[in-house]
Amino acid sequence: MIEARALTKTYGSKTAVDDVTFTVQPGTVTGFLGPNGAGKSTTMRMIVGLDRPTAGAVTVNGKPYAQHHAPLREVGTLLDAKAVHTGRSARNHLLAMGATHGIGKARVRQVIELTGLEPVAGKRVGGFSLGMGQRLGIAAALLGDPRTLILDEPVNGLDPEGVRWVRHLVRDLAAEGRTVFLSSHLMTEMALTADHIIVIGRGRIVADAPVADIIARAAGTTVRVRTPDATALADLLRGPDISIASVEPDLMEVTGGTAPAIGAAAASAGIVLHELTPLRGSLEDAYMQLTADQVEYSSTPLPASEGSDPAGATAPLDEVARS
Amino acid sequence: MTTPSSRTAVLDRPDAPTSGDLSFPRIVASEWIRFRSLRSNLWVLLITVATMVFVSVLIGWAATTEDAGEQPTGTAASLVTSGISLGQLTVAVLGVLTITGEYTTGMIRSTMTAVPRRLPVLWARVVVLAAVVAVVSAIGVALSHLATLPFQSEVGVTLDLSDGETLRILLGTSLFLATIAVFALAIGSLVRNSAGGLAIVLGILLVIENIFAVIPMTFFQNVGAFLPATAGGRLLMESETLAMVAETSTTPQLTPWQGYAVMLAWVVLALAAAAALLRRRDV
Repeated sequence: MIEARALTKTYGSKTAVDDVTFTVQPGTVTGFLGPNGAGKSTTMRMIVGLDRPTAGAVTVNGKPYAQHHAPLREVGTLLDAKAVHTGRSARNHLLAMGATHGIGKARVRQVIELTGLEPVAGKRVGGFSLGMGQRLGIAAALLGDPRTLILDEPVNGLDPEGVRWVRHLVRDLAAEGRTVFLSSHLMTEMALTADHIIVIGRGRIVADAPVADIIARAAGTTVRVRTPDATALADLLRGPDISIASVEPDLMEVTGGTAPAIGAAAASAGIVLHELTPLRGSLEDAYMQLTADQVEYSSTPLPASEGSDPAGATAPLDEVARS
Repeated sequence: MTTPSSRTAVLDRPDAPTSGDLSFPRIVASEWIRFRSLRSNLWVLLITVATMVFVSVLIGWAATTEDAGEQPTGTAASLVTSGISLGQLTVAVLGVLTITGEYTTGMIRSTMTAVPRRLPVLWARVVVLAAVVAVVSAIGVALSHLATLPFQSEVGVTLDLSDGETLRILLGTSLFLATIAVFALAIGSLVRNSAGGLAIVLGILLVIENIFAVIPMTFFQNVGAFLPATAGGRLLMESETLAMVAETSTTPQLTPWQGYAVMLAWVVLALAAAAALLRRRDV
């Protein structure tokens, strides 16, 4: 269990984390989403005491992290895959880390096997690929068999197989009742892995809800319906859970109903439909909507150009001619 | 790389090897693993011993040649410890890199996550570094002794371990080099940057102390006597040399142990500043 209360961190005049309050529950995988520079890493660093909060407090399993007698057994942390001395072998890194808590060779061997590092365990970390560095970071996080795991971008740099492995690993760890808090910028990955999502943007919590709620809230289950008898169909569909927005005289967006239900209702009333499109909300859409105003570095779409962008084919003629 | 199944030993909670709390002896053990598992550290120590032996052999050999003429040959103790001027540079580099290497690689974040109270890491590192440097210095002195035995007999000096002054100089060499290393560690911890740390420590040892020593003004001479390596170096001087210097100089004359105490005071000051900043700063 991680509990952050009014956590704030400022660097000079810049506020990286602004009055953030949240709870990460045991037994679930909680995702921490946010654009770059939103304050994810700073928040995670404050949880384990690497950064001192400017204001507020955070506890892990009931206590500030530094007050635990065996911090590595309470919390396993992967903050930065390359938080390792490049001149040391993976095995020696793990032995040195474990030695602080009396964790010996047997456990080091276990986590090396678990993370698939055996072939490179004796090699110096300086030559590791990003993926191997991630595995070593995960091995270090698991070293103390901790009740709580904090993983910053754990799948970053992993191959698809490794991504799937991490997904299963964190799900298993959560299923055992452990607290798992992981950040990722891969929204699709989060949709598959997390039960609960906390979205942060510009240092503030934008959303804190179960994955399904986040998707539903931001995009809803909306169906786009085009029909010449829009008024008649709207009257037919109207109900307590249904909201209807008229986009054009013959086009409306129905939220709360499903496409088959709307199609059936129209058919039974003899109403002709020209279009019936479910607008599927994805976590990515939800995320983009939630953080639209929160991105620190936003990009503007490039002007369409022939060849490189299929959209160029549909661009107005003068646009194409110019590019 | 193979990917093992996720359902494995990580879940076997009651395993004995994972039990145990954080403790200072364990942090020291961790620091020892860190120290010996870096090849660069072993190289620096090897170079330290090699230069110490090389310098004393060179000086011993020179004393047997005709060039030595009527110059006083000095004692066996000063001969076997004559490599210290070079040795202090290599152990200073070792001291700085012991801590700045963790900052430049990012290791410090792993370190401070394992020991979130932070200060025990600094103290454990001091213990391990001082012990290693003291032992290696002793080895360097012992090997210098063995390597210069032919010259010693030719010049007619012998190492008498029952002599108090000889013991002071021999053990003082270990003490002096260990103290230099810890001073460098403290500076490295303050600046958290290899280049900056090396520049400051070597700048103090090689440049500032020498400049103060050669500027013929009372102020500089008086202050210079209290700079860390100059003061600590008194521990390694024979009483004859100390008396000779006292005759010709007007600067404050520290006894060997006073000199070492002054050096130690510098180190304590630097360590206190390092500890205060280590607690306050973000990692």
